[in-house]
Amino acid sequence: MATAVASPAAFESAPPSAACAHCGAPAAAPADAELAFCCGGCAVVYRAIRSAGLEGFYSVRADAAPARTTDRAYRELDDAAFARLHVRPRPDGTSAVALYLEDLRCAGCVWLVEATPRCVDGVVDARVDVGRGRCDVVFDPARVPLSTVARHLDRLGHPVHPYRGAARDQARRKDDRAALIRLGVVGAGFGNLMLLAVALYAGVFDSMDAGDRALFRWASLAVGVPTIGFGAVPLVRTAWAALRTRRAHVDVPLALGVAVGLGWSTASVVRGHGQIYFDSLAMLVFLLLVARWIVSRSHRHAAAAAELLWALTPRRARRIDAAGVETEVPIEAVALGDRLRVLAGETFPVDGAVVSGRTAIDAAILTGESRPVGVTVGGRVCAGTTNVAAPVEVIAAAVGEDTRVGAMVRHVEELSTRKAEVERLVDRVAGWFVLAVVGAAAVTALAWGGATGLEHAMALLIVTCPCALALATPLAVTVALGRAARSGILIKGADALERLAVPGRMFLDKTGTVTVGRPAVVTFTGTAAVRALVAAAERGSAHPLARALASGDYPPAEVADVVEVPSRGVTAQVDGRQVMVGAPRWIAERCPLAPIQADLDAIVARAETPIAIAVDGACVAAAGIADPLRPGAAAAIAKLRALGWRPELVSGDAPEVVAAVAAQLDVPATGGMSPEDKLARVAAASANGPVAMIGDGVNDAAALAAATCGLAVSGATELAIEAADIYLRTPAIDAIVATAAGARATFTTIRRNLRLSLAYNLLGGGLAAAGVIHPLVGAVLMPLSSLTVLTSSLRSRAFRSPPC
Amino acid sequence: MLTMYVVLALALGGAGLAVAAFAWSVRSGQLDDLDTPAQRMLTDELTPRGTDDAATRR
Repeated sequence: MATAVASPAAFESAPPSAACAHCGAPAAAPADAELAFCCGGCAVVYRAIRSAGLEGFYSVRADAAPARTTDRAYRELDDAAFARLHVRPRPDGTSAVALYLEDLRCAGCVWLVEATPRCVDGVVDARVDVGRGRCDVVFDPARVPLSTVARHLDRLGHPVHPYRGAARDQARRKDDRAALIRLGVVGAGFGNLMLLAVALYAGVFDSMDAGDRALFRWASLAVGVPTIGFGAVPLVRTAWAALRTRRAHVDVPLALGVAVGLGWSTASVVRGHGQIYFDSLAMLVFLLLVARWIVSRSHRHAAAAAELLWALTPRRARRIDAAGVETEVPIEAVALGDRLRVLAGETFPVDGAVVSGRTAIDAAILTGESRPVGVTVGGRVCAGTTNVAAPVEVIAAAVGEDTRVGAMVRHVEELSTRKAEVERLVDRVAGWFVLAVVGAAAVTALAWGGATGLEHAMALLIVTCPCALALATPLAVTVALGRAARSGILIKGADALERLAVPGRMFLDKTGTVTVGRPAVVTFTGTAAVRALVAAAERGSAHPLARALASGDYPPAEVADVVEVPSRGVTAQVDGRQVMVGAPRWIAERCPLAPIQADLDAIVARAETPIAIAVDGACVAAAGIADPLRPGAAAAIAKLRALGWRPELVSGDAPEVVAAVAAQLDVPATGGMSPEDKLARVAAASANGPVAMIGDGVNDAAALAAATCGLAVSGATELAIEAADIYLRTPAIDAIVATAAGARATFTTIRRNLRLSLAYNLLGGGLAAAGVIHPLVGAVLMPLSSLTVLTSSLRSRAFRSPPC
Repeated sequence: MLTMYVVLALALGGAGLAVAAFAWSVRSGQLDDLDTPAQRMLTDELTPRGTDDAATRR
């Protein structure tokens, strides 16, 4: 994991001792009888919810997850400039604004946010759209500033961003509505055509008045032509586009079949004899529209680059003018050469050079390196990285989209829009299908000759109209997408699964993907009693290594005289014993390392960070701290190999650390890679076959977008999630295996569906060519073939069992 | 025979009305968000502690 935000997986290494009061994740037991929390975010949110009287949340929420809050003041939301862009005044004096809220998930979130008018005075209404993460707030600007509303929502665990997708939503909504109306019109038309057709079929067996028969045929024409014509517009459009670019597409045979069927049926009605197919064609068009509507609803649309950059970098900066006065300005107002102050714990807003102060920065978001890096005057810092140690002043060298992280975001956007289309199996089949059907129709017409030949050829063209063929992929994919989503695997588009169906090379990021992403004690050579002393001595420290040493479930101890020496270690009196924990070199100054020297050497050889422990002046134990593998990582890698993938580690972390992890997993690995290196590696590999990239950080995002199929793992940054085709929400590494296996099973189902539908077409086509086709046979065959394909899709093994 | 003409016209007219009503409901935005209302109804009864239900219900 590359961010400072803790994921639930981060706690799997510590022995769970209590459940977090907010999210239920395992958390360290608190010292006294207080509530346990897994992270600061959960604690803030829990208290905010209690104090607002919103405990009902805990009874209605569906899925619990660690919460995230920021302590931003959101003053920029009160700017006149912000109001001009995003706030719409309403006639009654109130204002409306659309906000993007993070982490909107379930009924609990909806209720929590929509209760805002009752918690914040001056808010009139809050309406949530869970799917889009959008919240429409109506408030009275005279009574409450927008920043107060935003702070309230933030404290409930939903950090606020301006909603920038309004224009995109508008366009999409127009398309959605048009598709839905088309679906409704065709559905109603199809139902009525069925009724008319049933009457006509009944008349075939019962004698029917010639006048009545003509009436029903003309009525079918009157309903069928507008219904089918209106419903087939999208089909004809894509078929025409495919023909013009000389690409095979399944819509070509469909459009052909529908056009021929419609023309022939109309001619039959006008002539007063001949077969009509309005009902079958309407059903075909209706089923296709349904399948495509469902698939389009499961697509997630990528956010715009500007929006992503907004989420990654701070919106305000502390600018220092020539007189040394500090003012807070919006990031848009920062110019090159401005002097900015960045406090400890803050994120750098710009790329720049340090001109005063020395600190350590956490650059994991950009480089994937797990340890903080020291910088002094003259050192370069990048926007999006975090200042972890002390305040510094920097001179801005690049702002906004010109920063390194900005360039990366732009890269991701470009690569995502340019992403090569996979050649879909159904389209390849469709190309051959058109040739075969047209050929068979020509042969039939010639063999029978004359009007009879024409009639049989027409019947063949209509009966073989590949409804089931066109449904084969959408049905299989829709079933897979739905099942996958239920087990926490979110697949963005229908083709993402087909992208993953053929195994090839698989690049895995190390930090946060195959490892937990946080340091933990992986080696401890001393006794359990010593371990408890160490945990007690380190409990008060905030240093990441100290927190790793302090984690665990140990009986409370009496701790006194704690002296913490930065970057060296800690000494303390625990239960009356003198405990020293720290870097071996520092401990060596106080007592001989000889008793544990061999253990320390072994720890260093495994690329773990060595810690020496002395009790009462004698070295008694050595500890090795590393970022441990996620549970089941080795087994998952083996299963991926069994599926035909060739896994490989790519990481920005130090090569020796990466090599140590790779040795445990027995996979090839490359360390010290910059985001640009990863992108180049993936792009080069994808020229020679399918490539899957699995990662979580901003530094993986470009590579995720460039891969044939990118998977973002649980705890991934927003940018990585946007860049990936698939987002695994469950922390278990087995989800990767489940996804790869599910993609393969889906592909198997698609192939089975295609075979089934082709078999039906062969049967119908054969009957038509033999001249024994009856409209009833057509009317039965078509729905039967679609039903068969539906059954086959539902029986698919893809994503059947949950991944963990 | 005449009955058939009348009934057929009535049936198709009814279907036309239904289609028009559906088109209206889509255009008025009732079907834009199919997820949130389903979840909102789960919590309709629930009100924050300490607020007067009747006075604050929207």
